Amino acid sequence: MSVRVEDVRIRHEGRTAWRPDGVTFAVRPGEVVLLLGPSGSGKSTLALALDGLVPHAVPADLEGRVVVDGTATTSTTVARLSEHVAMVFQDPDAQVVTGTVLDEVCFGPENLRVPADEVLDRAERALRAVGLWERRTEAPDALSGGGRQRLAIACALALGSPVLVLDEPTANLDPVGTQEVYAALRAVVADGTRAVVLVEHDLDAAVDLVDRVVVLDRAGRYALDGTTREVLADRAEEVAALGVWLPVATLAALRLRGAGVALDPLPLTAAELATALDACDELPAPAAAAPTPAAAADPVVQVRGLTVRRGGRTVLDDVHLDVPAGAVLALVGVNGAGKTTLAQAVAGVVPPPRGTVRVAGVDPARTPPRTLVRHVGFVFQNPEHQLVRGTVADELAHGLRLQGADDATVAAAVEDLLRRLDLTAERDVHPFLLSGGQKRRLSVGTALVTGARVLVLDEPTYGQDRERAAELLALLERLVAEGTTVLLVTHDLQLVADHATHVAVLHEGRLVTTGPTSAVLAGTALEDAGLLPPPLARATRQVRRHPAWRAVTRLADLPHPGAPAAADRGAGATVGAGA
Amino acid sequence: MSAAVAVARAWAPDVRPGFLRRLNPLAKVAATLPAAVLLVVWHEAAAALVLGGVAAVLLVVGAGLRPRVLAGLLVAAPLAAAVVGAALGLWVAPGTTTGSPVLVRLGSWTYTQAALVEGLGTVARLYAVLLLTSVGGLTTTGPDLVRASQQQLRVPYRVGWTALAAFRFVPRFGHELAVIRAAHRVRGTDTGTGPVADLRRYVGYAVPLLAGALRHAERVALAMDARAFGAHPTRTERYRVPWRHRDSALVATTWAVTLATWLLLR
Repeated sequence: MSVRVEDVRIRHEGRTAWRPDGVTFAVRPGEVVLLLGPSGSGKSTLALALDGLVPHAVPADLEGRVVVDGTATTSTTVARLSEHVAMVFQDPDAQVVTGTVLDEVCFGPENLRVPADEVLDRAERALRAVGLWERRTEAPDALSGGGRQRLAIACALALGSPVLVLDEPTANLDPVGTQEVYAALRAVVADGTRAVVLVEHDLDAAVDLVDRVVVLDRAGRYALDGTTREVLADRAEEVAALGVWLPVATLAALRLRGAGVALDPLPLTAAELATALDACDELPAPAAAAPTPAAAADPVVQVRGLTVRRGGRTVLDDVHLDVPAGAVLALVGVNGAGKTTLAQAVAGVVPPPRGTVRVAGVDPARTPPRTLVRHVGFVFQNPEHQLVRGTVADELAHGLRLQGADDATVAAAVEDLLRRLDLTAERDVHPFLLSGGQKRRLSVGTALVTGARVLVLDEPTYGQDRERAAELLALLERLVAEGTTVLLVTHDLQLVADHATHVAVLHEGRLVTTGPTSAVLAGTALEDAGLLPPPLARATRQVRRHPAWRAVTRLADLPHPGAPAAADRGAGATVGAGA
Repeated sequence: MSAAVAVARAWAPDVRPGFLRRLNPLAKVAATLPAAVLLVVWHEAAAALVLGGVAAVLLVVGAGLRPRVLAGLLVAAPLAAAVVGAALGLWVAPGTTTGSPVLVRLGSWTYTQAALVEGLGTVARLYAVLLLTSVGGLTTTGPDLVRASQQQLRVPYRVGWTALAAFRFVPRFGHELAVIRAAHRVRGTDTGTGPVADLRRYVGYAVPLLAGALRHAERVALAMDARAFGAHPTRTERYRVPWRHRDSALVATTWAVTLATWLLLR
């Protein structure tokens, strides 16, 4: 049993470009293959082609052949192929068909007319494999996001297919859910009978599971194929040059290599990085931590004793929070911790109790929406939700027109924003026709156009890959440089470590801790709140021989090829190995 | 999460008390449909009282409804119906009630006993139809009705399961609509009052809601295809919703009562 991809090119209906564009590889039994490529290279499309959804269910032209168990996918049906190749998709909500966990797992085998006894037998084995058997009578909706993705894996297992294809299975999950899914997947592949094809951008979670990596380039062409170490470590620079993200440990090692610290072999996981660092007798001093903006005497956001109850449940419990002007504050916590509620209260999306919040000098509870938008802007998780006009330019002008600004002012402000958001070429396009990243930038623009000094973003990187996330963060950093204060809700803790100046950790509605990022990451608040430290911090905490390195959490803290690290060394600031 | 709870409740196997819940959903529809149709076409308040009464007895004895629901259905609803009926009497054409005793006189305008009876009679029929449909409606779950239509009526399973999948969309869209409304309020589109502003607002909600709905439906369809949905003309059915003797008995009895009512009162 195998899946072979032979010179496959796929063109979606109505598109001109082929993505992927000429890919050949084979999935051998028992092997875990990671499919990598920059945004838009056609990874997900290729994943859909492996069980025939492309071209059977998704209208597209397919050239070349995908051969499953000796049969070309185009000459059979998706239903027949599902016995050989099972799929797990990105969105856990969109995969649930029935009303209980058990019924859900039975759905696939029932469709295949497996006898009822065997259906139950398979369902039990699949649910036990992912640790959900005890919860079989519950509704799938009662499971967490990670639980629902485990359920989706169980559903795929129950089909009895020897090949499992997972398309960004953790993109919509919090770090805890991601860990759950990979723990389940590890158990599934442990006996070596199932092959797995994985499309994933969170390499830090996945890399220790993967046997082989196939890389596509930006144009969707087949670029690299080899074992995990051959591709991600030995050819790390090539992979990075293709616009593909590497594990944070590998990125860190590349940076160190530039600074003259050769780690060989290149580490792929946090544990490997820690071991490699300890193996060095000498390490340069880490770059000084980013200067933390001194807490302004007059914080731009003040939350005092904010308690929110909803449906008999306390969502926020006596939250006190100060955000200094010019800060990038990340609100972190597991799902249900109250992050979104706090963000919405600060921005007045759901007005908080009077007197509990002051933002840019006003109380959102007492300020009419039209005035409030001059002080604070809110960016929703799904940008489409807040787009209301027919063209990009109109969308930006909308808020200002409601403020009664004259045409000349509106036109000037819109031109300026289009340029800053890099959307000038799209000015007359319907907002819904923009790409995901463009929509996100436009929604940020709509929140800023009325002159808000505070910008609140609810999970702006949800469901996006690192490349888009980095693009958004670059935009936010430009805005902060221009005087905006940013609050953002996010699950991506490496992004928090690298870009946020401050962190507030929420747990079960309470603000557990808040402070400058380096201070919060140095403590145990993240673990106490059920979160994992970011990957780089996980590595440096395990370092034994170089105490100064244990505080390193940001890639920017690492000595880099530029002048500062060299100067450090020149000044004799080398940290010797512990005696 | 209340949406999730609603879905979960609708799907859970029905273990609440009440013999009506153990009957085939199709039997309950078949049993009450002729009576309901009869009351729609036949202007006879007495028949409404008889057939509505039978339905009420069935609901009290066999539906296992909570007291609050029963009180609403059998006490509050008839009182409200009586008020509506009296009001309906105002619209009865005066020509048809000449000679009837006058209950209220305001100048040249009169409200006669015949008009009141006519109004109450109409409402009684509507209320009886409500009770009759409640016999099946309040004691049947959507999934059971779908299974029964597959197993007894041979409705293709693709149709039934698609309907069930669509049923799951409802709470999701409720939540999505709430988010969109909040988002539009933030953008300052929630201004203006009156029907024109309302209409414009709702058109504004429709675009993102539909875009989201189509994308979601597409994903669900892909996920179902990937799990062999539609692979064969039939699928394994682990739950049987059989048609038993007691289902036939229910249908025969209610049809006999309906026929008798018609024969005796016509």
